[in-house]
Amino acid sequence: MTFNAPALLFVIVGLALIGWLAGRARSALLAARAGVKLHSRPQYHGWYVALWLFAPAALFLALWSSVSPALVTSAVLETPAAQGLPEFGFERGAILSDARSTAAGRQAAVRLPAAAPLVEPYRQAAQRYGAIGIGAMLALALAGGLYGYSRVGPGLRARSRVERIVMAMLLLASLVAILTTFGIVMSLLFESIRFFRLVSPAELLFGTHWNPQSGAPQPGTFGGIPLFWGTVLIGAIIAMIVAIPIGMMTAVYLTQYAAPRVRRWVKPCLEVLAGVPTVVYGYFAALTVAPALREFAAMLGVPNASSESALAAGIVMGVMIIPFISSMADDSINAVPQAMRDGSLALGATPNETIREVLIPAALPGVMGGILLAVSRAIGETMIVVMAAGLSANLTANPFASVTTVTAQIVKLLTGDQEFNSAKTLAAFALGLVLFLVTLLLNIAALRIVKKYREAYE
Amino acid sequence: MNRQTAPTDWKAPAMQRRIAARYAAERRFKAMGLGAVLLSALFLAFLLTVMVGNGARGFTYTHVAVPIDFTATPLPVEPSRLGDPDADQLIANAGLAEIVALAADEALGENGSALISDNAWKDVRRAIKDDPALLRAKSVFELPASSLVDIAAKEGAAGALGARVDALTREGKLARHIHWSFFRNADATDPALAGIWGALKGSVLTIIIAFLIAFPTGVLAALYLEEYAPKNRWSDLIEVSINNLAAVPSIIFGLLALAVFINWFGLCQASPLVGGLTLALMTMPVIVIASRNAIKAVPPSIRDAALGVGASPVQVVFHHVLPLALPGILTGTIIGMARALGETAPLLLIGMRAFIGDVPGGICSPSTVLPMQIFLWSDEVDRGFVEKTSAAIIVLLIVLLSMNALAIYLRNKFEKRW
Amino acid sequence: MTHDELTIANPKMKAEGVDVFYGAKQAINNVSIDVGTDLVTAFIGPSGCGKSTFLRSLNRMNDTLASARVTGKITLEGEDIYAPSMDVVQLRARVGMVFQKPNPFPKSVYDNVAYGPRIHGLAAGKADLDLIVERALVRAGLWDEVKDRLGESGTALSGGQQQRLCIARAIAVNPEVILMDEPCSALDPIATAKIEDLIHELRGKYAIVIVTHNMQQAARVSQRTAFFHLGTLVEYGKTADIFTNPKQDRTKDYITGRYG
Repeated sequence: MTFNAPALLFVIVGLALIGWLAGRARSALLAARAGVKLHSRPQYHGWYVALWLFAPAALFLALWSSVSPALVTSAVLETPAAQGLPEFGFERGAILSDARSTAAGRQAAVRLPAAAPLVEPYRQAAQRYGAIGIGAMLALALAGGLYGYSRVGPGLRARSRVERIVMAMLLLASLVAILTTFGIVMSLLFESIRFFRLVSPAELLFGTHWNPQSGAPQPGTFGGIPLFWGTVLIGAIIAMIVAIPIGMMTAVYLTQYAAPRVRRWVKPCLEVLAGVPTVVYGYFAALTVAPALREFAAMLGVPNASSESALAAGIVMGVMIIPFISSMADDSINAVPQAMRDGSLALGATPNETIREVLIPAALPGVMGGILLAVSRAIGETMIVVMAAGLSANLTANPFASVTTVTAQIVKLLTGDQEFNSAKTLAAFALGLVLFLVTLLLNIAALRIVKKYREAYE
Repeated sequence: MNRQTAPTDWKAPAMQRRIAARYAAERRFKAMGLGAVLLSALFLAFLLTVMVGNGARGFTYTHVAVPIDFTATPLPVEPSRLGDPDADQLIANAGLAEIVALAADEALGENGSALISDNAWKDVRRAIKDDPALLRAKSVFELPASSLVDIAAKEGAAGALGARVDALTREGKLARHIHWSFFRNADATDPALAGIWGALKGSVLTIIIAFLIAFPTGVLAALYLEEYAPKNRWSDLIEVSINNLAAVPSIIFGLLALAVFINWFGLCQASPLVGGLTLALMTMPVIVIASRNAIKAVPPSIRDAALGVGASPVQVVFHHVLPLALPGILTGTIIGMARALGETAPLLLIGMRAFIGDVPGGICSPSTVLPMQIFLWSDEVDRGFVEKTSAAIIVLLIVLLSMNALAIYLRNKFEKRW
Repeated sequence: MTHDELTIANPKMKAEGVDVFYGAKQAINNVSIDVGTDLVTAFIGPSGCGKSTFLRSLNRMNDTLASARVTGKITLEGEDIYAPSMDVVQLRARVGMVFQKPNPFPKSVYDNVAYGPRIHGLAAGKADLDLIVERALVRAGLWDEVKDRLGESGTALSGGQQQRLCIARAIAVNPEVILMDEPCSALDPIATAKIEDLIHELRGKYAIVIVTHNMQQAARVSQRTAFFHLGTLVEYGKTADIFTNPKQDRTKDYITGRYG
């Protein structure tokens, strides 16, 4: 029996439904009897039984799906067939994963000959542990259901019990966010540490040459500076030069000058601009903007003008960010009390003096927070740079040249046929860690600024 | 204090000049604002025009009329077996491709088979399966032209090919039809056959999974944070992680999915299941934030009233607060789902980049999604894919924009009822 | 004391038959009033009576609301302030305004006061600007309290100090009229007393119009009082007469606390 978690989940949901019906029926029967007064209404008893049936089994299911692969692997390693495996390294992992995939039927045959003898032990171990898991889960579901059913009666405060469980579920749901954050940090850290065993962190952070090759890591090929520079050039410089003035001026015009009717039309248009998927922007940048810019550069006589340029990616990314900046600025300007604006106008200031001298300085913390969030979004943007900025790691300030970014390299390192454990793929996680930490700092700083600012005017 | 306190002379020429300059600055500033708005609008219009201009042609395809006489060149297949599951294989083995190529050479002149798509016989096969009587007759089939002929017919071409296409057009043998394969097929290496149905189905499966996970989790988490969470460090931590997750680059979620779902749990690679899980984690914070705002907007008097008639705190929330907050929650969810539907980067990392020639069968079979199909086609060398890419973009934009429009409509309809 | 006469020989501002509409709703109906040059004029009346609306039409602050429309004639020194030739920027510099809630800009004390002179180009140089700022702060009775903290943010001052800073800000552009819209309603009694003293100090230097719903305050600070009710001017006269011997029943009822 193979262990198929989604199918099993359906099974216990079905069982829980039966439990719900049984619990409700029993309590309804009891309630109909003269002299019996139940604490809760029948459906709560139904929920009580269903939850007793579902929760332990589902928990076990989750637990078992996460530990059983490790159990299967360790069982396989104890078989005689596994004695011939290389002790450490990528090869061992590759052989094991090849055998595992074949045994699970995800591929028709092994790709590595060394994996062939391991397929059968894998299959057997997977079946054994699958059977154990399914048996244990069904037993748990049955035991829980029976216990819950036996408790149904006048003395049971089913509603309070069910509500307590509902509260626990609410808490669990909110913990998913922490769990996700934790998962991100752990998976990035874990793989990065493995990378840093092969390549020193100093090289990644300060090296100036980026040219990762397959196989054993070559020294001096994992220097991240060109990527970091490319990311900054596109996301924090070019995109912001485009987005900040246009976004700010749009917000100013919409909040201070535009008639309500204009605002009613323009704001949804901006939301449309924000709703265009990044792959469309990327295609647009590569198809239309980049060739036009290359011709423009050639006209100016710029050397090294490439069809994939930092400028094309940066400009289009800037356009993508405009609605974001303008909506943040819009909110911040609107949050400035009307009295401030009146005070300035009453002194005889023109609207533009009022905006530049009073409103924008007053809204500045909020606007700054928005800009930090926008930078964080721009440096994490992937598709536009993958499609329009290119993959050559140049350390250049020429915006017409091709540069690459952290995100583009993550994609490059992880797509195509790669051994999962090679230095190249691990490098992607190390780059991911750097990207995560930088955006985390930007986000926290931005959220703090925005929160403080909001409190100041409330 | 020796400064004179006489009234300011506002009529002085210097003052008048100054005021004129200030008004000029005002006009310039206002024009800049209007310019910024127009620039954004112009860019949007430009983008849409380019996409529609390129993509509209992708919905049609040039077809060539080729008469095939199955009475003269019979296809050795029993009509009774055309309903069999292996009928496709049967017909292919019987040599239909050669029959179609011969018929094309005959009808279109020298090298005529090069003018139709290499896979044109598959259309014939479909027609035969639909109507076995064709096997006993001579009939004219509208077959897809080759990619080069299609481009030449649409854009015009120089040289021999152009002349030949012109001649065929004059003879009435070329016609443009709606390209049904585009909506019916999965990806293919031949632009005449490549379609978005596989990607569309992949997108739908992926988004359903993402919704089933992200919506309940997000709403429950929002209810907890807004209604029950005590003010302590844990709640602060949850709040910070949610706000931060909403701003984490999407590609990081791809790395998480690769490390956890694929390498650790060993879930099926490139499948809607893993894609949906990844997008669910990415969308959940968006739903939480939108739901919290919607729940916050429900006035406390409603809660007090319900508590006052003896409802338990859980009943108050599920019977009263949640239904009232639902429009706002749905708005946020639709926007989040639209964003997930347009997302590409994290899915690249979980293997959805591969060429998938089949329509996905289930949530665990390898598949691709619409934005990914756009990305893959944008990389194709064959020029026939340029208009396919734009046509797929039009489809994606129509789906996303209608979702956003629905969200905006819901928001405007239900906003500020209190 | 010629300026205590009811007939004002040389009015600073003059309103004749003024109506103010917000959309279709009429907020002010046919108000005519003179504002004396050396006098403090108080507008009193129950809330919603239109006194603040009328005040805001004296420096065209109603223009900032798209739906507001003013008809009739208001003149400043004989010039029609709603005439096309009248420049609203200049008008507001000549007719300053102090608001209900202190609204210092989020700038330093110095920059708050220097803001007006800077935008209007009233100072010949840095030293001149320093002098204007100092003079305005002295006149507003705030100099001794803030002279050592001119660089601090204006929002860091106490509520009463903030309101005096706003008065200094208005004074700094050298206005002819100062409009005060319930300037003490957000302040405690001690701060209120200081503002009232300040109004006494400023009388004679500027024409002052103060809106208040505090009748004692109107009686203390003003020489002329106008009583508004439901958008109309019910009675206008010397403050002493209004409070001791009102001619209209509605005024009497309001003064004696029947409503309001």
